[in-house]
Amino acid sequence: MRALGPGSVSSFLKMVLDIVHFALIAGVIGVALLAFADLLFTVNPALLDSVEIADRGQLIERGPVMLMGLLAAGFYMAGVLAIIGALRRIFATLIVGDPFRPDNVGRLRMIALMLGILELGRYALWSISVWLPDVHHVRPTFGLTAWFSVLVVLVLAEVFREGARLRREAELTI
Amino acid sequence: MAIRIRLDELLMARRMSLAELADRTGVSAANLTVLKTGEARAIRFTTLEALCRELGCGPGELLTYETEPEA
Repeated sequence: MRALGPGSVSSFLKMVLDIVHFALIAGVIGVALLAFADLLFTVNPALLDSVEIADRGQLIERGPVMLMGLLAAGFYMAGVLAIIGALRRIFATLIVGDPFRPDNVGRLRMIALMLGILELGRYALWSISVWLPDVHHVRPTFGLTAWFSVLVVLVLAEVFREGARLRREAELTI
Repeated sequence: MAIRIRLDELLMARRMSLAELADRTGVSAANLTVLKTGEARAIRFTTLEALCRELGCGPGELLTYETEPEA
């Protein structure tokens, strides 16, 4: 089975990434709408009077915490969406059999940056959740896997930069 | 660039066009233009050999080294 070109493994992975990409867009929109609704109910609890909800009191009380959770989830999903978007564009170059494009270097660096930001965001969320009442769901997990991934992607970006440089050289070798 | 290719002079001396040289050597006219304008970063031995064969010259006649003026 071929790794590059049309009908290859890259082509299949690009299709999977496309599906994940559109699912994430739907997810981000859904979370944004929920956060907006939660914000409205938090600012103006009287709006809930017209809605049939079983546990209204608790919803009003926990509104700000839920809003923060939804915003955190939204930002996390948006970060993953940015990573998937960059991966889709990289895989599009793999399908045409031209991976060493200078654009891919920037895309890989962006992926590394986003992985780092998402990991820091996870730490920040955990730090904030410690101070919130009745929130015990976020557990701190300090693993080296995420930071190792950041470094691997950064090294890959440099490999692609070198590949792009060699390609430019080859183009000007007569 | 310090290394210059004297393609124009050699072609003129032999009354040969760039298209004819491209046809004889198998190197595209576009690539010969890249060589001529000094944009090329490297030249393959096979290209050099074909050019020398068709122009009837040695590599030393085709390539010259020019010292760049100091800034």
